[in-house]
Amino acid sequence: MSVSVSPALAINVRNVSKRFGRVLALDDVNLSVPEGNVLALVGPNGAGKSTLIDILCTIGKPDSGHVEVSGIDAVRHPLKARQKLGVVFQEPTLDTRLTVRENLTFHGMVYQMCRSERRARADAVLELVELADWGNAVTRTLSSGMRRRLEIARALMHEPRILFLDEPTIGLDAQSRAKIWSYLETLRDTQGLTLIVTTHYIDEVEGSDAVYIIDHGKILACGAPDALKADYGRTLLKVSPRGEMVRATLVKRYPDAVETADGQLLIAIDQTVSADALLAELGTQLRGISVEQPSLESVFLSLTGRDLRDAPTGTSNGTRNA
Amino acid sequence: MAMKETTSAIFGQMYGVYAIWLREVTRALRDTGQLIGGVSRPLLWVVILGIGLNPYFRGEVYGEVRFVVPYTYLQFIFPAVVVLNILYTSIQSAVSLIWDREFGFLREVLVSPMARNMVLLGKILGGATTAVVHGCMVLALARFAGVALTWVDVFQALMLMFVLAFGLTSFGIVLAVHVRGFESFGVFSNAVILPLYFTASSIFPLDPALTRAQMLVAYPEWLVLIVELNPLTYAIDAMRGILIDFNQFDPVLGLQVVGIMMVSLFALALLAFRKV
Repeated sequence: MSVSVSPALAINVRNVSKRFGRVLALDDVNLSVPEGNVLALVGPNGAGKSTLIDILCTIGKPDSGHVEVSGIDAVRHPLKARQKLGVVFQEPTLDTRLTVRENLTFHGMVYQMCRSERRARADAVLELVELADWGNAVTRTLSSGMRRRLEIARALMHEPRILFLDEPTIGLDAQSRAKIWSYLETLRDTQGLTLIVTTHYIDEVEGSDAVYIIDHGKILACGAPDALKADYGRTLLKVSPRGEMVRATLVKRYPDAVETADGQLLIAIDQTVSADALLAELGTQLRGISVEQPSLESVFLSLTGRDLRDAPTGTSNGTRNA
Repeated sequence: MAMKETTSAIFGQMYGVYAIWLREVTRALRDTGQLIGGVSRPLLWVVILGIGLNPYFRGEVYGEVRFVVPYTYLQFIFPAVVVLNILYTSIQSAVSLIWDREFGFLREVLVSPMARNMVLLGKILGGATTAVVHGCMVLALARFAGVALTWVDVFQALMLMFVLAFGLTSFGIVLAVHVRGFESFGVFSNAVILPLYFTASSIFPLDPALTRAQMLVAYPEWLVLIVELNPLTYAIDAMRGILIDFNQFDPVLGLQVVGIMMVSLFALALLAFRKV
């Protein structure tokens, strides 16, 4: 009746598919995460990340396939599985009219914790995210970075075994981002918490144990960051052409070139493309050129043929600073 | 073993219902706007309308048609104002569902180990409690309206108020699920609340002493029909029965209608909430 799984897996997903109308949001996805690991899901908007997260935290149901969370069949026993899960959503989900502590208390009650347990845990999680002095503040008065920290604290109230974070650092300044990652690392190291993170910031996933690259509902590649770089990473030339004419010439010469959101062209170096040849021919007509060593960004590019930060509609005329 | 597990699961769910109920009530009590509305509405209706129309209500003889309602107008509309306050608050409390959906809080509840139906139950109980509190604000004016209440009356009234509030909050949830955004809900709910209220024989009686033929002389047929089809008519009638011992219809009928309303609207709300 049940599929036998090694107990050391925090998450085990087998052949999961999900369709919304005509769109195949998830196409035969397999994924396994050992306990205590940090897994990063990377993909552009609309790749299927959120659908996958929804299914993992039992809000969505897969059309087919098997999902196991902490050894519990999440499709059949969603309420039981949720006891083991903590979720931090991409969009804020706090009740801003309640105080910080009331938000935590509500969470504790809904997760069926008793009063003394709730108090002790609230103190502990507020301490962890450095909000101990803000317990009685109304949530509305908190900054967005503090709110995000509170959401992480809340997700940890009931001592989950697995924590999902959907774009936990989106829209936050560099300092807040660094803070949040330091909490998460502490949690993994001290409590063996399994973390599943989706993110746009590719530099944030370098420290994870495994990276899953997902696009069009399919897992394109998975592995440790270094292994992925070794397998798929390419050395890229980042070129800023001087004017449209040059750009057109470049695109014609290198049809695989990808345009980044800030208007530069990325050209992969391989047997047919060499930096020397390009420089000899067009060197004087470039504003700048740089060589990018294999990075996860280039892994993503070579797998999906697009820049991770591309606007989803393809109208990437917004200028953005790196 | 399995039995014990089931018992603890049920207990856990009930605790969660309590948490959701508590949040709804806390939020409602902190919402000063809603509280001010809850106080000013009955004051307006009872003090201004009730007192203002009082002299015109006890007409002795108007040609053939005689009003036989042996009550002052203030006494007559008093039970209806109780129902009005419950009606407003119940339907408005469903706004919290839109709020939760819009600001994401609903997701926090939906990923918790609470069953979806229990989430809804907690919400409706919370809304109904708030509505009963608002109903009590009107009851507090009883002496002023010349309505003498015994403790038994108050107890019966509270029961009826709760059942009614439960049904109307469920109705509000059904509306809220189908409406996008706050603004449209405000317009929509007013478009529902006031017509329902005015056609519920709340501010004028369909005289029970008149035959149907006589009634149709006094009022146009469509109005009589609407009043008779409006379920709120019977809710208000039941409330009058309890508060001022005056019934236009069979006293049992009112209780039956309110009971059926509660069950069927809750069922509709359960159905609607699956789509959230």
